[in-house]
Amino acid sequence: MRTAYKVLAYLVAAEVAVQAMVMVWFIAGLGKWVEGGGVLDKAAMESEGTPFPEVPGVIAHGINGFFVIPGLALLLLIISFFTKVRGAIKWAVIVFVLVVVQTQLGGLGHDFPLAGALHGLNALALFGVALYAGRRLRAATAAAVEQPEARTAAPV
Amino acid sequence: MTRHSRRRPSGILSLGFGRPLRLALPIVATLSIIAPLAWLWQDSRVPSAYSVMNMGYPDYGVGAMTDPDGSGHGGHMQGQMGGQQMPPPRLVTDMVADPTRPADVRVDLVTRQQMLTVGGQPIRGFTVNGTSPGPEIRARQGQLLEVHLHNESVADGVTLHWHGVDVPNAMDGVAGVTQDAVPVGGEFIYRFVADQAGTYWYHSHQVSNPQVAGGLLGSLVVLPRSRIAQQVDVTAVAHTYGGVRTINGKAEDLHMLARPGQRVRVRVTNTDNGPMKIWTGGPYRLLAVDGTDVHKPTDVSDRSVTLTAGGRTDLEVMVPRDGSAVRVQLSKATAVIIGPPGADAPVPPQPTAELDLLAYGSPAPLGFDPAHPTRQFDYRIGRRPGFVKGQPGVWWSINGRLFPHVPMYVVREGEVVVVHIKNHSGEVHPMHLHGHHEVVLARNGVAATGSPWWVDSLNVLPGETYDIAFVANNPGIWMDHCHNLKHAAQGMVAHLMYEGFDTPYRIAGPSDNQPE
Repeated sequence: MRTAYKVLAYLVAAEVAVQAMVMVWFIAGLGKWVEGGGVLDKAAMESEGTPFPEVPGVIAHGINGFFVIPGLALLLLIISFFTKVRGAIKWAVIVFVLVVVQTQLGGLGHDFPLAGALHGLNALALFGVALYAGRRLRAATAAAVEQPEARTAAPV
Repeated sequence: MTRHSRRRPSGILSLGFGRPLRLALPIVATLSIIAPLAWLWQDSRVPSAYSVMNMGYPDYGVGAMTDPDGSGHGGHMQGQMGGQQMPPPRLVTDMVADPTRPADVRVDLVTRQQMLTVGGQPIRGFTVNGTSPGPEIRARQGQLLEVHLHNESVADGVTLHWHGVDVPNAMDGVAGVTQDAVPVGGEFIYRFVADQAGTYWYHSHQVSNPQVAGGLLGSLVVLPRSRIAQQVDVTAVAHTYGGVRTINGKAEDLHMLARPGQRVRVRVTNTDNGPMKIWTGGPYRLLAVDGTDVHKPTDVSDRSVTLTAGGRTDLEVMVPRDGSAVRVQLSKATAVIIGPPGADAPVPPQPTAELDLLAYGSPAPLGFDPAHPTRQFDYRIGRRPGFVKGQPGVWWSINGRLFPHVPMYVVREGEVVVVHIKNHSGEVHPMHLHGHHEVVLARNGVAATGSPWWVDSLNVLPGETYDIAFVANNPGIWMDHCHNLKHAAQGMVAHLMYEGFDTPYRIAGPSDNQPE
């Protein structure tokens, strides 16, 4: 369970990095396309095809952000109940809350672009917290190996 | 067991319940997350065949604050309706044009699934009579139009919906609501009187998201009984095939010949899923919106018009007398260029200001009094996590609920209906009510002061509210949905039904009807 927790936490962090990468990839592609005389409006954006090759970046961002990362965060939360490591639940909850906030900010950014700026900032927070959650589990696991019946194990 | 475990007995765990509790707590916590999700998941699934009548919940709206005949008391009308003896339902299939009247215009349309070449690119798409867009249908106001649809090879089946025409319900072309999808080798005959002059279009309403995107559509123009005032009449169907912007199926500007000084009517139809901006080099007049004439339109300069997905607009421009052409930009990507042979015009910069139809033209009588509606509905568009058809995601909600738990707006014939649309979903939605035209009363609380602004496709931006009104004068069961057809496929579909109506058709089922 601890390994699963660790892996999930690191996956969330990695996914945040992927999110930043695909978004900038998309924006860079958009910039290049506009420079070349391309036009992007809602009609083009919503069409079935891809007007420029970096469009999958924004699609991936949406799928990751709305499906994959919330799914990972939810799994992390469930796994945290079974790790029997102090604070594991707390940090999984924080990750989950930040993910929820992140999706909300992402959606809100369509209405209020400034929320998009907070979306970027919150991404850093989520990245840091997920990384920390994974790392402290590694520390706890290492401690448990040294002391097989550590205080967080489950004996009576 | 060890000194570690003895060192930290705490709370209830020290009373000897420790082990079972330690096992049970995580499981209970997990179940408290999983169980609601599982319930939501199963609740979002739809049967293998179902009637729109059983979809969602009836919304009877709120009665008028002032009741002219004094019989009602305002408030919710559910009680009044529920208490009555219901006569047997009328069927949507009964709502047809006069079957004894011969057709004035007969058109045969053959639909095929095939590869298209757009702008040199091969695109998997659809054709009507071998082309996409299909042939433009032209009729004169008052003529009875009879269209024979033959599906030659569209595997999923097809229908034709007459977007913007208030046809009798049985002719509305919605698979699973007003007819079964026409299978390969099948045929369907649409008959309706084209009694509203204006610019319309037709498109499939079976698996409509991919079929419309793939080009199963065409233009329908109903000419007024008298001649139009313009000397040149141009149709420009804007469509994006696989990312390639086109006008009338060609990935290039549309050149039309006209003499200097001639007035030109440009009928623009946006068949895409998102709004587009239209602007011109010189002044223009906005003659019509969604097939309804603007009352006393005035000259407009340096302002763009927003044409929502599914919407149409008729612009009047004049060919310059200096021998150059006039340019009508349909977004930055494509343009209609009208003038003498070889004439061109520079690309006009996109105006930052926009024509506000709330205050364009002059007021005119509406023909009914929206200040005293019989019924008022809310159509609040949101977005939230949940399940739709068993799939997790962040979905569009209508009045806080997800498909299929969406409202069925119930009205009676003759009622004056006001709908309050509110979009807090973060994306623009082109809202399209079938079978009716709605007049915009107010936007964001600001009342309309210009010409009556009649729409069938309304661009609702994030954060906007619209108050719109219509007269319930076309009985049946009508879709009231987002015309970003991807959004419709994601469940942004409600219906308007007249009390006492029913449909014999089923969504899904043996004909595999999938209107979205």
